[in-house]
Amino acid sequence: MTTIRRFSCNDLLRFTSVNLDHLTETFNMSFYMTYLARWPDYFHVAEGPGNRVMGYIMGKVEGQGESWHGHVTAVTVSPKYRRQQLAKKLMNLLEEISDKIDKAYFVDLFVRASNTPAIKMYEKLGYIIYRRVLRYYSGEEDGLDMRKALSRDVEKKSVIPLKRPITPDELEYD
Amino acid sequence: MASKFGLAGGIPERRVRPIWDAIDSRQFKNALKLLTSLLSKYPKSPYALALKALIHERMGKPDEALTVCLDAKELLYKDDSSLMDDLTLSTLQIVFQRLDHLDLATGCYAHACGRFPNNLELMMGLFNCYVREYSFVKQQLTAIKMYKLAGEERFLLWAVCSIQLQVLCDKSGEKLLLLAEGLLKKHIASHSMHEPEALMVYISLLEQQSKYKDALEVLSGNLGSLLVIEVDKLRIQGRLLARARDYSAAVDVYKKILELSPDDWECFLQYLSCLFEDDSMWKFFDDIDQIHPTKNIECKFSHLTEEMFDSRISSASELVQKLQRDTENSNLRGPHLAEIEIEKRKFLYGKKNDSELLKSLLQYFLKFGHLACYASDVEAFLQVLPPHKKAEFVGMLVENADSVSASATTVLGQTTTILKVQELTGNIFELPLGEIEASAVKLAKLYCQNLPLSKDLDPQESMFGEELLSLINNMLVQLYWRTRDFCYLAEAIMVLELGLAIRGHVWQYKILLLHIYSYIGALPLAFERYKALDVKNILTETVSHHILRQMLESPMWVDLYNLLQDYLKFMDDHLKESADLTFLAYRHRNYSKVIEFVLFKQRLQQSNQYEAARVEASLLQLKQNADSIEEEERVLENLKSGVQLVELSNEMGSRTLRFNEDMQTRPWWTPCPEKNYLLGSFEDFSYCPKENVNKDREENVKRSIQRKSLLPRMVYLSIQCSATALKESLETKGSGGDLKTCEELKSLLEEYTKTLGSSFSDAVEMITEISQGARTFETLGSDLVDWLNFAVFWNAWSLSSQEHWHVLNMLFERLILDRIKSMGSSEMSSCYSDVQVLVQIITEPLAWHSLIIQACTRSSLPSGKKKKKAQHSDHLPSSPMSQAIKDSIHSLCSTVQEVSNWLLNKINNPEDDQVERFLTTLKRNEGPGQVLGVLESFIATSEESEVGSRIFESLKTWSKADSARKTVTAQQRVLREFLQICESKRKLLEKLKQQMTHV
Repeated sequence: MTTIRRFSCNDLLRFTSVNLDHLTETFNMSFYMTYLARWPDYFHVAEGPGNRVMGYIMGKVEGQGESWHGHVTAVTVSPKYRRQQLAKKLMNLLEEISDKIDKAYFVDLFVRASNTPAIKMYEKLGYIIYRRVLRYYSGEEDGLDMRKALSRDVEKKSVIPLKRPITPDELEYD
Repeated sequence: MASKFGLAGGIPERRVRPIWDAIDSRQFKNALKLLTSLLSKYPKSPYALALKALIHERMGKPDEALTVCLDAKELLYKDDSSLMDDLTLSTLQIVFQRLDHLDLATGCYAHACGRFPNNLELMMGLFNCYVREYSFVKQQLTAIKMYKLAGEERFLLWAVCSIQLQVLCDKSGEKLLLLAEGLLKKHIASHSMHEPEALMVYISLLEQQSKYKDALEVLSGNLGSLLVIEVDKLRIQGRLLARARDYSAAVDVYKKILELSPDDWECFLQYLSCLFEDDSMWKFFDDIDQIHPTKNIECKFSHLTEEMFDSRISSASELVQKLQRDTENSNLRGPHLAEIEIEKRKFLYGKKNDSELLKSLLQYFLKFGHLACYASDVEAFLQVLPPHKKAEFVGMLVENADSVSASATTVLGQTTTILKVQELTGNIFELPLGEIEASAVKLAKLYCQNLPLSKDLDPQESMFGEELLSLINNMLVQLYWRTRDFCYLAEAIMVLELGLAIRGHVWQYKILLLHIYSYIGALPLAFERYKALDVKNILTETVSHHILRQMLESPMWVDLYNLLQDYLKFMDDHLKESADLTFLAYRHRNYSKVIEFVLFKQRLQQSNQYEAARVEASLLQLKQNADSIEEEERVLENLKSGVQLVELSNEMGSRTLRFNEDMQTRPWWTPCPEKNYLLGSFEDFSYCPKENVNKDREENVKRSIQRKSLLPRMVYLSIQCSATALKESLETKGSGGDLKTCEELKSLLEEYTKTLGSSFSDAVEMITEISQGARTFETLGSDLVDWLNFAVFWNAWSLSSQEHWHVLNMLFERLILDRIKSMGSSEMSSCYSDVQVLVQIITEPLAWHSLIIQACTRSSLPSGKKKKKAQHSDHLPSSPMSQAIKDSIHSLCSTVQEVSNWLLNKINNPEDDQVERFLTTLKRNEGPGQVLGVLESFIATSEESEVGSRIFESLKTWSKADSARKTVTAQQRVLREFLQICESKRKLLEKLKQQMTHV
């Protein structure tokens, strides 16, 4: 039983048990609030009975021309609510908004190259490894830029994998 | 910053760019050099000056920055040319804001807008200034001007938001909403509306005025198409219909939503509320304070006849069955939980269907009992059951748990769930000791058996059976509570430490350990575990309650200082930057977020923890410097002699305090910082629900903040009173103290006793009787330290009374020596709560009293050169007061010495012996120690091929002795830090004693 709705500031006070999990980063306030102020449609929370936060997704839409795309900045599910396809639901919602409301060409995300469970999950959701970004995470670990084409990219041009890895300074967007 | 290029104040970009680059790369000296050459060419350029001010500010020279800014401002005001551009103004505004002079920035923009009334960019800057100042009326007026000038929808919405904020925050009359509505209607009539967010504002505006029907019309009209996602639109529609009490239409809408998204739990509850024509849920959702999980939402049925109830419940059942059929192949929990909700409503109505309710809960268990969320899913349902039904339900679960056909993970999940249900229902507190112990042993075995399941998991992933160790720990702590056998607690520590050795990421273990370590006085270790939680940013507001109180009552001042600073910095930074983010929401036309951000900022500003931490940070400084009156006076000067805190205390009564802490993560034995069941006896409680403690807390917290914020001023006034008292008494045998100061101190004392629930005279009587032994100090309860503080300042107010000095001395002696006696040679683990009280007595009341004595003696002694000959104290006759001071010093000295002796005795106890004793408690043939026994024998026999190399390695390297030693070392550190404080106090008192020999 999941109510998915827009994330609000008060949810920052309620996501404690999700964020205490070491894989979930707790960003500074201006980070969350910038997302809320600019892309409120890309920031959703899933709530269970008793208004418990089960997980949330934050993202944005950016780019120019054919690189106009949705971006998943963070998606997280509390260990208590894992293995129930919640991440999938949240991802699908962001994809739908990118596709239907913002008419983006694709959705992308970054993941640590070593995070095999997450990579597998994204692959199941239809994401393709588009390119490798060398030393993307704190100058140490490589990141993988994964993409999924949306309906506007009829020929799926946006997801043809790049042949060579790139460096973080070659990235178009942060 | 780098984006702020352009032709500013007539200066070409190429000349400005290197300066910004230098600022951005923090090469301030270089920036200043470049700027000096720029200024030589453009000495009268306000922009160049603004840049100079910015560089000064960044270099940490706020005074210079302000002077330059003011020069720039003056030039701007004088200059008639068109150099008043947004770039100059916004640069100035950055500096003014950082210097906390928002008003000056606003003044500049207001002036500029007056000079160039049609410049939209400048007006936006001015609007931004008002956003920063939270001046909603001025925001509204500016936005309206902009709307008139440009006719853009967004400016109108800015004005409407500003109006809504006036009504929400300034409690302005709701008539304003009518004005906003009129403006919007007019705009829509001529220009229509183009953004979904604007529509949301329009609807919320109508809702705020209870014009639900109008809102519904808007939604179903052309504008409704602005909302692209169907479910979102339906949700708003359902809410409006329900609020308009058009329940049957609302029911249809909610049905539609449930068909589209059958797992939407909140929607199902709203559906039921509408079906039963029950508005209590809406009241609940209207409460903007609502952030804590709700277990039970009130249900009203009294207005329904039985027939009506039956027919409605059966239509709900039909819907739920349909939803279940439609989602048969999915694993959605919603439609199944809905079935339980229906049984619960029937039960609450009085249908006596408890067995059906239990059956539905059991069905849910059979389907989802292996999931980690089962227990919290059904928590609200368990609450409505009478105790014997709860026990019956636990029995049903045990009976029906699948131990044969199911997979190992299912068995593991179900077993964990059953234990969690037992905890939730309180059932576990009713079991005989032996049964709990046996259950804990069984769980330990289960944990070991299932470790191989996690063999191939990534170390980042949660392991199977992880929760079992938390559950075992909860049982062991309960066993300790009931038997007072420390072995159980030692065992609990070992279980969790082993758990952390196997997987270091489990935050639940860290929190449990943190509380156990705090309880047994191993505070440095508790703090270490807290730090390992990586609490930062907003989590400092929601999570630091786990450690803050213990640290405040400890001698670990350095760590406490850092803790308070980190938290206050986070809060202050947010309160400062919040308005900029609000403006960002305005600019991006996300109007609903504008309102949300302002309310959220208010909420954090009203945080009880924030208020308390600010007071505590001041008190900490006073405590740290109390051994030197000169240092203390410097601290007091920075605190404006405590005046502001007194104001805070006065305002506290009428203030709203918010409770943002997440108490759900606390262990059962300490549901809030002020409560620890382990300090009382098991017999006093039968069941420890994790109640929502906020309501009880509010009054207590308020009173505590009120009380504490009086302290700095009382310290200040006491020093003032004492400064001349002894000299006067020696010279004139007067009563001492300046009259006005004494009067103020008296009135603060009266305020102070009020917060203790007593009158001034009763308070005096109370402490006098306690000092005489006519009353026990247990009557002071948990406010003991506060009462002692009262006694100290009461004495300072009436220094000439020898009797008062005597009362105070006796109080200190009795309270401290009795405690030392009762602790005797107990282990730190069992007497830390007493140590905590001693720490507070020594660092607060005793410290304040020593300060007062310092103030007395200082005034009577030759200090400056000029006084040396004229006022040599040897020539002054002794007075009763000087005798009282001498006695008091003597008494304090020997009392503190007793504390030091006790501490030394503990510290000199060889660490190895203590570790050995700790470990010996764990070696038993029966009773406590069995759980650890299971784990240890598993460690001894486990094989790498079975559990995988990573787990195998952690098992082999974990050492019980290490954990024991760390605990002992941590306890010792607390004692040493405390001893250091005591010794410093004792030295001070010795010094004073020496000085007084001359008087």
